[in-house]
Amino acid sequence: METSEDHGNGELNHLTKKPRLTRFITESAIADEFAHHQPGVARINNGSFGSCPGSVLSSQREWQLKFLRQPDDFYFNGLRKGILRSRTLVKDLVGAADVEEVSLIDNATTGAAIVLQQIGRAFAEGRFDRNDAVLMFHCAFQAVKKSMEAYVRRAGGSVIEVRLPFPILCDEEIITEFRKGLEKAKSNGRKVRLAIIDHITSMPSVVTPVKELVRICREEGVDQVFVDAAHAIGSVEVNVQEIGADFYVSNLHKWFFCPPSVAFLYCKKSGSSLDAHHPVVSHEYGNGLPTESSWIGTRDYSSQLAVPTAFEFVNSFEGGIRGIMKRNHDEVVKMGEMLAESWGTNLGAPPEMCASMVMVGLPSRLYVTSDDDALRLRSHLRAYYGVEVPIHYQGPRDGEDGVKDEYGIVTAYVRISHQVYNTLDDYCKLRDAINQIVDNKKTCKTLLIE
Amino acid sequence: MNGDASHSKKKPKLSPPEISAEFSHHDPAVARINNGSFGCCPRSVTAAQRDWQHQFLRQPDNFFLNLLQPAISRSRSLVASLVNAPHVDQISLVDNATTAAAIFLQHCAWSFAEGRFNPGDAAVMLHYAYGAVKKSVEAYITRAGGHVIEVDLPFPVKSEDEIITEFRKALAKGKSEGRKVRIAVIDHVTSMPAVVIPVKELVKICREEGVEQVFVDAAHGIGCVDVDVQEIGADFYTSNLHKWFFCPPSVAFLYCRNQSNAGGDTQLQLHHPVVSHEYGNGLPVESGWIGTRDYSAQLVVPSAAEFVERFPGGIDGIKTANHSAVVEMGEMLAKAWGTNLGSPPEMCGSMIMVGLPACLGIGSESDSLKLRTHLRDCFAVEVPIYFNKRRHDRRGEEEAGGVITGYVRISYQVYNKVEDYERLRDAVDKLVNDGFTCASLVEPESD
Repeated sequence: METSEDHGNGELNHLTKKPRLTRFITESAIADEFAHHQPGVARINNGSFGSCPGSVLSSQREWQLKFLRQPDDFYFNGLRKGILRSRTLVKDLVGAADVEEVSLIDNATTGAAIVLQQIGRAFAEGRFDRNDAVLMFHCAFQAVKKSMEAYVRRAGGSVIEVRLPFPILCDEEIITEFRKGLEKAKSNGRKVRLAIIDHITSMPSVVTPVKELVRICREEGVDQVFVDAAHAIGSVEVNVQEIGADFYVSNLHKWFFCPPSVAFLYCKKSGSSLDAHHPVVSHEYGNGLPTESSWIGTRDYSSQLAVPTAFEFVNSFEGGIRGIMKRNHDEVVKMGEMLAESWGTNLGAPPEMCASMVMVGLPSRLYVTSDDDALRLRSHLRAYYGVEVPIHYQGPRDGEDGVKDEYGIVTAYVRISHQVYNTLDDYCKLRDAINQIVDNKKTCKTLLIE
Repeated sequence: MNGDASHSKKKPKLSPPEISAEFSHHDPAVARINNGSFGCCPRSVTAAQRDWQHQFLRQPDNFFLNLLQPAISRSRSLVASLVNAPHVDQISLVDNATTAAAIFLQHCAWSFAEGRFNPGDAAVMLHYAYGAVKKSVEAYITRAGGHVIEVDLPFPVKSEDEIITEFRKALAKGKSEGRKVRIAVIDHVTSMPAVVIPVKELVKICREEGVEQVFVDAAHGIGCVDVDVQEIGADFYTSNLHKWFFCPPSVAFLYCRNQSNAGGDTQLQLHHPVVSHEYGNGLPVESGWIGTRDYSAQLVVPSAAEFVERFPGGIDGIKTANHSAVVEMGEMLAKAWGTNLGSPPEMCGSMIMVGLPACLGIGSESDSLKLRTHLRDCFAVEVPIYFNKRRHDRRGEEEAGGVITGYVRISYQVYNKVEDYERLRDAVDKLVNDGFTCASLVEPESD
């Protein structure tokens, strides 16, 4: 029986074969879908590696078996159709104008390599001048930073970093720093060839005003804009035309319930996208990035093929992906505020600059004074409290006081995630663990990790 | 528990019904005589793979931080011992030979860009190099200003000498044009048509002629031919483990003679094109983390090795048995059809090329694909067909009806049975008797 409810992406339902559900997925069904998660672990780090429900894993296994059963038939008759179906669903989801703008790749890291390799080529082939600039945030994902080194610096380009203020109170702070960074990049008459903008930064995690930043790039004559949105799809609204970047990449296995691993790379139809190639060259070389990416040698493409089942899963929730995003956001903010209150600390960013992840200050009495300390604390929480949560060390900046709690400067933040499988209990475990460590007068350096 | 065989007791040899059971997931209706294209993976190895996938899904942070790298190291060590590489640091695990080629060729492109190679310097490769490798050479060498010299290979081929002669000619051509031949890309076993190339000799010639870097594409190497990287002597050697070594899709190794350790000059090192935080720590480590993805195929190499040990003689025994069987089957087909083998048995591994009757009228690539589809759809036979364009183009007027222009490439792997090849034999016999020609086939629907 059809309902008139808009599932947020209801137009997608006709592409799947299952009949429309009249009831939404229940709590116990959700628990079943994630029964393969390790019990006893408060898994509040969906942001790092994502999660995949049992029904999508089953679909993936079916695809894997299809290949093993008769791989030639699969290759000639099934593979490309399946990938095109996945690409089409993604194209509709993100508002791309043309399915030829959507490629499926392994992950955002691969997307960065594709974008930066063509930038590197332009430097090496003399189309860009030596020392022309590429701009990125100082907290860009480490893989992206290394990719800049491997493809941009190596080819003679210069890299300008924009500081991301953190803790942060509003979008304006980011916009101001970004404009400063652009000024610096353009100094000495340099051309800014590429700006890499995180839609949601990784560590520390903040939702940036990406639309505004892209607009500023266009105003200031930046050649190409690449949005690294690894965390975006499934945690914030994504409309690639509205955002207006030349390249936009997001992982589907983080917040969109796909198996590891699959991401989409959107390339706006224009001059530069024609030179974007998959670095693993196959016989499809020159047939367009989507086609090149659909065959990079014999490998397991099943995670790309299982994408439609992830859509089905998402559509079984009230409000579809929009409903999931809203509930995740509301819950993670609520949990963040609960933790901050219990610990006497702060949130690293206001709720409107968070999606499904929140940075919560850790008590200063833990004395986190380095990345190593942060890692130590994280390992201790995993080994002794069954809590999985990443920790960010925020060193003091010269001339700044830093945020304080009652006892000193807050130097570290946990990044908590909320996904459909999380429960209140997960966050209580974290809350109590930290409180216990503090009450026992333990500091990072004294914590056991075995 | 994790499919890791290193501490378990040696399991008994597999009986024929057990072997069948291990491959019971193969489509039983199909005569699957194309192990060469996509390989195969027994149940016990896919089960081990699922265990690893489960470990990741269960607690991915712990998996990433504590389990993944030791497991990759174990696989790499095993591969090093399999191929007689003296040091595990010489072994990286990557998705497939196509990726390994891209890694090497991107490195060459940097050599052009950074002035270690000069514009017009040459890369030598075989005419029958794999399509992906040819495109990769175009993308990375030609684009960077390099010149490509193809070694003309005869087919059908009668002896290794024919290949050696052509190779020398190609190197001489480069010299006569005043070019420095910087690199050579040599197949250990060409794909289509499949022929075992005398790589050891060719590598020696390269050294004599001062070719700086030799890359051996042995996609069909391990499990199909003998692989001893030290004896072969190349600078780089890559082979897929999912083709003939029973690993799931997909995993391959890339051997680099000069170890790419951390601390060396990053410009002189090979790099994985997908750059992660491990950049600069050496190719093996870079390849061990290229972002979040499923690494499970790389982790079951020990399980595949365990499977292999359940055959008499292990991988060598399998290889020898495959070779004998495929030659026997090839000769059976050639006799039945009145045709010939594409190369002598000593130039075959676990695959062999058998001429198809000329009357089938294979006159183009498209014909060979149509015929292949026809065999799949109407006879449930899966076998790739090679169109020998050069022989076709060279045929004289008087020969028109009698020239063999198409060859099947039959593979033999442990799951194959004589019935598979008999079915192919009978299918082709029927087509011949029915007066079938490729011209009668409709264009296949494109996917």
